[in-house]
Amino acid sequence: MIMKKIVYTLIVMALFTIVACTNELDTQPKVELTLDELLAKDPQAVEGIVSRLYGSFALSGPNGPGSSDVSDDPGESPFLRGIINLEDFTADALKNRWGDDGLDQLTTTSDWDENNKFFKYMYNRIYYTIPQCNNLLSVLSNVDVKNKDQVIGEVRFIRSLAYYYLIDVFGKGVLATEENFGTSESLPEASRLELFNYVKSELLASIDLLPQTNGYGQANKAVAEMLLAKLYLNANVYIGTPMWDEAATHIKKVIDQGGYSLDPNFEAIFSGDNDSSPEIIFPLIADAVNSQSYGNTTYLINGSLSADTMTLTDYGATEGWGGHRTTKAWYGLFGDLTNSTDDRADLFWTSGHNYEMTDYKKWVDGYPSIKYRNSSFHSSSSPTSFSGTDFPLFRLADAYLIYAECAVRNAQGTDKNLAKDYVNAVRTRSNATPISLSELTENFIIDERGRELNFEGQRRTDLIRFGKFTGGSYLWPWKGNTLNGASIPDTYNLFPIPLTALEANANLQQNPGY
Amino acid sequence: MKTNVNSLLFLLLFAPFLLMAQNTLKGTVAEQSTSLPLPGVNILIKGTSTGTTTDFDGNYQITIKKGDVIEFSYVGYNSKEITYSGQSTLNVQLIENAAQLDEIVIIGYGSVKKEDLTGSVDVISSKDFNKGAVISADQLLTGKLAGVRITSNGGQPDSAPNIRIRGGSSLSANNNPLIVIDGIPIDNTNPAGVGNPLSLINPNDIDSFSVLKDASATAIYGSRASNGVIIITTKKGTSGDVKYNFSSDVSVSNVTNEIDVMNGDTFVSFIQDYHPTYANLLGVPVNTVQSFESVSQVINGRAIYNTNWQDAIYRTSISNNTNFSARANLFDKIPFRGSLGYTKNEGVVKTNDYERYSMSVKMTPTMLDDHLKIDFNAKGLYSEKNAIDEGGALGGAVNMDPTKPVYNYDVNNRFGGFYNSTSVDGNRLILDGQWNPLALLQQRQRPEQVSKILSNIEFDYKMHFLPELRAVANFGLEASKAKIKETYSDNSLSTYKFDSSDTDIDTNYLFNPGVNYLENQSITNTTMDGYLVYAKEINDIVKRFEIQGGYSYQNFKNDGNKVIYQYNNDSGLREIQVNSDNPNNRYYNVLNLQSFFGRSNINILDKYLLTFSIRADASSLFTKENRWGYFPAGALAWKLKEESFIKDLNFINDLKLRIGYGKTGQQDITGAVGYYPSSPLFIAGSSTSQYLPGVSLYSASAFNPDLTWEKTTTANIGLDFDFFTNSFISGSVDFYKKDTNDLLARTSLPPGQGLSDTFVQNVGSTESKGFEVNLNLNPIETENFNLEFNSNVGYNRTEVTDLKGSSRITASESGLPTGTGVLIGYHAVGYQPYSAWVFKQIYDVEGNPVFNGFLDLNGDNQITNDDRFYKTMRPNWTYGFGMNFSYKNWDLSTSLRGQVGGLVYNSKRLTSGWVDKAIPVNSNSLSNVLDFNSGAANFGFQNVIGNVPFSDYFLEDASFLRCENIVIGYRVENILKNASLRIYGSVNNPFIFSNYSGQDPENFNSIDNNFYPRPTVYTMGINLDF
Repeated sequence: MIMKKIVYTLIVMALFTIVACTNELDTQPKVELTLDELLAKDPQAVEGIVSRLYGSFALSGPNGPGSSDVSDDPGESPFLRGIINLEDFTADALKNRWGDDGLDQLTTTSDWDENNKFFKYMYNRIYYTIPQCNNLLSVLSNVDVKNKDQVIGEVRFIRSLAYYYLIDVFGKGVLATEENFGTSESLPEASRLELFNYVKSELLASIDLLPQTNGYGQANKAVAEMLLAKLYLNANVYIGTPMWDEAATHIKKVIDQGGYSLDPNFEAIFSGDNDSSPEIIFPLIADAVNSQSYGNTTYLINGSLSADTMTLTDYGATEGWGGHRTTKAWYGLFGDLTNSTDDRADLFWTSGHNYEMTDYKKWVDGYPSIKYRNSSFHSSSSPTSFSGTDFPLFRLADAYLIYAECAVRNAQGTDKNLAKDYVNAVRTRSNATPISLSELTENFIIDERGRELNFEGQRRTDLIRFGKFTGGSYLWPWKGNTLNGASIPDTYNLFPIPLTALEANANLQQNPGY
Repeated sequence: MKTNVNSLLFLLLFAPFLLMAQNTLKGTVAEQSTSLPLPGVNILIKGTSTGTTTDFDGNYQITIKKGDVIEFSYVGYNSKEITYSGQSTLNVQLIENAAQLDEIVIIGYGSVKKEDLTGSVDVISSKDFNKGAVISADQLLTGKLAGVRITSNGGQPDSAPNIRIRGGSSLSANNNPLIVIDGIPIDNTNPAGVGNPLSLINPNDIDSFSVLKDASATAIYGSRASNGVIIITTKKGTSGDVKYNFSSDVSVSNVTNEIDVMNGDTFVSFIQDYHPTYANLLGVPVNTVQSFESVSQVINGRAIYNTNWQDAIYRTSISNNTNFSARANLFDKIPFRGSLGYTKNEGVVKTNDYERYSMSVKMTPTMLDDHLKIDFNAKGLYSEKNAIDEGGALGGAVNMDPTKPVYNYDVNNRFGGFYNSTSVDGNRLILDGQWNPLALLQQRQRPEQVSKILSNIEFDYKMHFLPELRAVANFGLEASKAKIKETYSDNSLSTYKFDSSDTDIDTNYLFNPGVNYLENQSITNTTMDGYLVYAKEINDIVKRFEIQGGYSYQNFKNDGNKVIYQYNNDSGLREIQVNSDNPNNRYYNVLNLQSFFGRSNINILDKYLLTFSIRADASSLFTKENRWGYFPAGALAWKLKEESFIKDLNFINDLKLRIGYGKTGQQDITGAVGYYPSSPLFIAGSSTSQYLPGVSLYSASAFNPDLTWEKTTTANIGLDFDFFTNSFISGSVDFYKKDTNDLLARTSLPPGQGLSDTFVQNVGSTESKGFEVNLNLNPIETENFNLEFNSNVGYNRTEVTDLKGSSRITASESGLPTGTGVLIGYHAVGYQPYSAWVFKQIYDVEGNPVFNGFLDLNGDNQITNDDRFYKTMRPNWTYGFGMNFSYKNWDLSTSLRGQVGGLVYNSKRLTSGWVDKAIPVNSNSLSNVLDFNSGAANFGFQNVIGNVPFSDYFLEDASFLRCENIVIGYRVENILKNASLRIYGSVNNPFIFSNYSGQDPENFNSIDNNFYPRPTVYTMGINLDF
């Protein structure tokens, strides 16, 4: 009978348990946090989210270099790697030799199609960054945070930067903002002009919100001005209307009000301790310990090294991936390298290598670039497996050359003499001979931009702006997949929209020619 | 726990002395194929009224005189007559009648007689299990049931089985069936380090499987039952004397089919012919290597070895499996079974060892005048596996240059006697190119230890005041602790680092032996269900009426932490990576499921059986608004045999028509998007993923608040039949149609509209149709000679019917090994899920593929995605057949199975089947390639970029017929008093018929890459009952 009572008690107890259990359906994570929990735990949390937004241009994911924010390969897909692949390997100065599917087609500017995963990587990275920004903007109004306006300005700058690359690389997309954040129906396609106007107004607004100076790696007024100047500089390509005057106005603000100065040593801008360089306006930060990625400068440095012909440790690296070499389209700009006084001409590894890139897949054909290195310039340092060299996305020499270009193109309010001085400041810093005013021509500008800025992720944009990228007027080794270069169609001024994007949003139309 | 084990051992050791001697005829009646004693067998001396029955342990004794004919009979078994010749002991074995009409079948929250089943349920008991080398429960079933496709991931000792019942119904959600062990639905998540959840139960303890296939049977399990249910019941105790079973076997495994790469000498001529500028990389400089391996030739001062790297990493492995079990009736009250098991299984890849200790206890006492039945089960298990880097070893063995030696005992070699190529970089001697795959295996130890208990206690109480009403409560616990500790031995390649403060090339290096990774995990899953059943026998039109209702609670908690290491950039020393935002690198995942369910069974005139059930399910993966799903089902069985127009047809033993219809749900997307997919959450960046200095980085994780249940509706019609004497022909036929809606699938999000590029959404529908036939023949059944055949065939065809406006979504498990992110599989509207989207290869007149040559299917003079078409990769037809034969004390059985259709992507042709693959990319190492001369690959392939990987050339027919096992056994009766011994030998996987040019066509995801070969296993074993 006691057993019987126990049994009945158990039944009644079981009924009570049911009632008590149903709220267990609201499971609570312990490692992941809601925004409220995060803010309670870390008063600096908003800054941490902003750090993540900046980091979207350098890191692959939240959990080390093997993790990815998106479904793409964490090693191959980070932003900077994509910019080098899309802007430099497709252009005249640099070629990759691995023969990897997708990358090979970029390096030979041939057979581009919507299946190429490298287009998808860039597209996904851009459209990862934008909604992450929108997400923060949409919750900021409910959050108590100091310097809220500045935070909003920074986030709107970061989003503009992502859109800038979308405009440049793919030419169109959707306009995802904090207003339509959370919409599940596919957004309509936004044209290059719509995106251009949006980025323009966003940057103008964020310039007002941003401070004169800000922490390292963070946007200030000059950083936003510089991006705006670049947008205007390419306006003729982007929207068919030249806007040299506006470009000049804003780049002048960067030069005059930014507080930056040329680094006395060219090499120092690309060395492991370049975070102290006075010239860098906006870097993509890398750190050998705390900020690791296969897609930051690690890709540029390790990719350009090979123990076959070089000594890795001389450049602070422990691995050489033997991937990238420059072509004569770059080092040819310096004339005879051995006789050149230009410091920039020293940044090619020639020993054991051939001048001609007869076979782009052969390591010794073409010179590797040693512009970037992981070793420190001002002190000694140990080799590390990941690079700690920051990538100078915007720097003052570029601003000088943009001003000079605007002047050459007769932008309102520019001064050609001043332009010549800016160019010569850049040149004499590297012990190159100064030029005269008459030498300051469009052709000189594109070549000087090559000498100064190649391997900085803008060569393709520059060549397009100067009308040299497509067609047959300017040829370089392996353009169009032939040794001496061949004409490529004008449709190659834009990359194809990746198949995954077309399938995910039926409103998107493929770029013509693909 | 320790005390329990001690008393168990005491019982096991001393119980035999309690046996008493007898002097009249006595003996044991056992079931022939399993040797399990049969209780309640009727024993009658023919022509008299003298008789008895066997006790719970199959023992009998009877007074008898010489010349009497004794008849042994038992329901469900064929009777046997024996003339008594004066012996004092007579042990008899009865052969099961193929159709076990009275068998009790365990279904969800209850059991029914097989004849009263209304749903599509297949039962397989121990006599029909696969035999030979079996180390996990799934291997008992493989190929035995129509419509149940079990595909192991490979030949690993705890290889994960991919079980698909009727093809599975989901795209990205879990497609594995629900597995219920002794009433406890087990977790879909494996403990860390466990490949196969079913390796965590000793197959020797299993009595039977019930496989619930249609919705009318599974709907009572609701939420987790969309892909069918496999109910595992373990063996029970006894109410008679103590009985023991001891079994042990030893097996030898080896790899019979290697990948056809070049050997050293053919590789030398290949490089000389095709890549002469790289010939200086062949072999090693003469006199730089000390090894016992012979140099096959010397070319230009380089010693060329002839190494088969696959042979170097494979081994002939020896495994052992020993089990001991005892059944008793403790204190004459508690039927008890206890078992101990030990398995040591060596994988055919070196160092891939697996060891398992298991114990189980089952007690089934009845109390309170039979009003309270208790079923207590406890299973304990400890396993340890040395996990290997499969990709590194299997891929490395294929790629590694065959002209390099395996070992190098030179005093200057730093790497523990293993050869590895090096180069000098400044003042450092650095590793170059491919690492020695054998060194990778030998120099790393990664024991993955798991301790697990699975225990439950069920109370089944028949009310004293109302015996028609029963209350059943079941409490279960599934808990495991897993520990992974990865260490490196001395001089290991992987830990070779440099001290930056030392510039001397001879001293500036160091190794970091010791711990490299730690993980501890505890999984605690609790289950509680309770229900009330009211059952009434009525002698009216309605003969029997039963209604039940209950509640079920399941909670899955997975809590663990990791220690992650990194190398110091200056000193080269390994140190702990400190992550201040999550100091222990903790992970914590909880899933909670709760349900209410009800069922009613109505028996009309003993001819029509009706079942209705309804279940309401809630899952913590969904938001409050979307949390509940409702899953009704109904079924009708018509016992045709009971109809007057059939009743008199003697050749029909049984005939039953079943019709069922029902709905089930699916919510398990944890594998795709984790445990909190519906809420907006932030995660802190690891210490290596920081950005702005001095600020902790936080990422917003993607989520989808609209997620809700995926629903599958199944209609099923089936016929069970049993014809002619001794069930000469018996079996079942089922036809079904399944519609799945609100499919949970990982899809690309419209760009810019989600916090990542893909996430799981409820996206569309699929429709499946199929049929299944199980057919058994029992042509010969005599006293000495028995022969029976079993066979099954299943057909399933699923089609994607809607994807919410999209025409296709990618199948993330179809990645090709050409770098990551290149997928070939798609789920496309109008096609079967997981179809390859490919170009049609063009072949020249000699039948060789034309490199990069594809058919312009739409005739627009260009090859674009519009020229691609779909080819189904998973098979539609699966089949199995087997035979059991016995003659006197000999038995012979075999089991075969296979598939018709399906494709396998021969990835080795992609990764190693092109000429330029051999030359180095970023090192000085050559890579081996497939043997072009033997036809393993085609010389025409220069590279594999652009459209080349999407050529249908790489897709080959995956149809196959595999012999699962051949077993031959001999039984020795009375080897000792009351003891019987069976000795057997078996071979598993002796042969396979297939047209596939690669290693093995049986591949679940149809992408054959770095496949761990399924070995051929030879086993010798004994089975002793006493």
